[in-house]
Amino acid sequence: MKRPHRTVAEIVTVLIAAVVAFPLYWMVLTALKPEGEVLSTSPRPWTLAPTLDSFRRVLDVQNFGRYFLNSVVVALIVVFFALLCAFLAAIALTRFRFRGRTVLLVMLLVAQMAPVEALTIPLFFVMRSVGDVAPVFGLNHLGSLVLVHLAFGLPFAIWMLRGFVAAVPVELEEAATLDGASRFRFTWQVLFPLVAPGLVATSVLSFIHAWNDFLFAKTFIISASEQQTLPLGILAFFKPDQNDWGAIMAGSTLMTIPVLIFFVFVQRRLVSGLAGAVKG
Amino acid sequence: MPTQAPPKGIGAAARWARRAPLLPALIFTIAVTQLPFVATLIISFLQWNSLAPENRGFAGLDNYIAVITDPNLRSSVLTTVLLTASVVLISLLLGLGIALLLDRKFRGRGLVRTMMIAPFLVVPVAAALLWKHALYNPEYGLFNGVLKWIFGESAAQPDWISTMPLTAVIAALVWQWTPFMMLILLAGLQSRPQDAVEAAFIDGATGFQVFRYLTLPHLRQYLELGGLLGSIYIVQNFDAVFTITSGGLGTANLPYTIYQTFYQAHDYGQASAAGVVVVIGSILIASFALRAVSSLLRDEVK
Repeated sequence: MKRPHRTVAEIVTVLIAAVVAFPLYWMVLTALKPEGEVLSTSPRPWTLAPTLDSFRRVLDVQNFGRYFLNSVVVALIVVFFALLCAFLAAIALTRFRFRGRTVLLVMLLVAQMAPVEALTIPLFFVMRSVGDVAPVFGLNHLGSLVLVHLAFGLPFAIWMLRGFVAAVPVELEEAATLDGASRFRFTWQVLFPLVAPGLVATSVLSFIHAWNDFLFAKTFIISASEQQTLPLGILAFFKPDQNDWGAIMAGSTLMTIPVLIFFVFVQRRLVSGLAGAVKG
Repeated sequence: MPTQAPPKGIGAAARWARRAPLLPALIFTIAVTQLPFVATLIISFLQWNSLAPENRGFAGLDNYIAVITDPNLRSSVLTTVLLTASVVLISLLLGLGIALLLDRKFRGRGLVRTMMIAPFLVVPVAAALLWKHALYNPEYGLFNGVLKWIFGESAAQPDWISTMPLTAVIAALVWQWTPFMMLILLAGLQSRPQDAVEAAFIDGATGFQVFRYLTLPHLRQYLELGGLLGSIYIVQNFDAVFTITSGGLGTANLPYTIYQTFYQAHDYGQASAAGVVVVIGSILIASFALRAVSSLLRDEVK
């Protein structure tokens, strides 16, 4: 049995979703339009002659596949280590009481607020020194990007996960301890699954954070073009006289697809929800 | 939520065992974000402009004086506050509304949810380009195209970005950040104790009463979390300002101004001083904000 106002709410929801997603449709549409139609002064919400020319121009750029792979590798490594470190840190920050805990929390927050633009030059010198010791993490290597993304993403990940860990009732931990579970066992067999939706949300954000980066990739990867990441690939279509908008939108579409796939892949876990997990 | 206070008389080893899980994250963050900050601090006291390398030396407080007396910087502080506050508030409100709409079962919910979240998944530079070129553009942009479809060929064709530059940036950012707020609030809604909601309905509570007295108090933490995390990111926003207006027309925020000092004026000393000022300002605001969002830390206080 359905009440009428629920149907209205559903229609409203679908309408809002359509408006929200429309600019994205426009992005894909622009990528598919033939070159002459892109700059037409009477834009139409469809195209009669869809073409993959813009995509072809993007994929023809040297090393585009390589850039793509680099971006994926960096983002996945960052997600893995960010989750591991942030999960442990979130437990320490919510479950244990020790001196300086609140100060630490505030510090983590402030670390996140420091304007990245002002830190790139000192970071450049740091990475150059790191490269002398461990070349993999130095300039012109993907390792340097992993390091900075991890460091700038972690405070955010910790803050995010903290709420999810805090939402798990302490009674559960007491019960597990009474039943004879060790702290380690409790952490991995009880806490970990309960926090899973939080981990999923955090992983999406860490992935996006690393994937979106432009500034660090531009600063650290200076002379090794095979180590470049994707956002710089799109730069090739900005020309002083006339930007190739079709190709830029095609490149943007291609860049969005992995994030979308990653999201669709994890979203079921995201919505399984904390409530159900705790009740079950 | 009660936490375990350390029993009296435990050894240093046990105390450190409590902190051990924090260490990997802490060491990383300190090494990569705090050390460069120290370097920034040092540079901020130097006279260092790479366009005039022979002039390098100790500058004392000169850079700070230049920063504080710079009218551009002062106006960019205001812009940053305005931009951050409006984007966070608007996207929180919209996110709450959408999360409430999505927090029910209906056919196609998965698809609708993905559509709603999609803007957040677009690379910021790409999203800003999309708004600037495909939506705002006065000649071939979608907005003016829509005006033409509705009002015919004689429809007004405003140049959105130059008539309302800050609003244009805000709208693009709200579009990107509403899904993020919605995501957090949706997680909050789904962690709401269902039995209490059901009990309230059985006791004859209206939908609004449930929202006002059960849902909203429960969501408070999530609203605060969303607001806090959103603020941190939007304070730093660079891509949208850089792409949509290039900092012109009074939309230059702090990150953009620092970027300009750094990469265009090549005045490393002054840019570093501005960076330090921003960090100090952030600390002040963060400590006020943290006091305001006390419920986030309530479990610490108890």
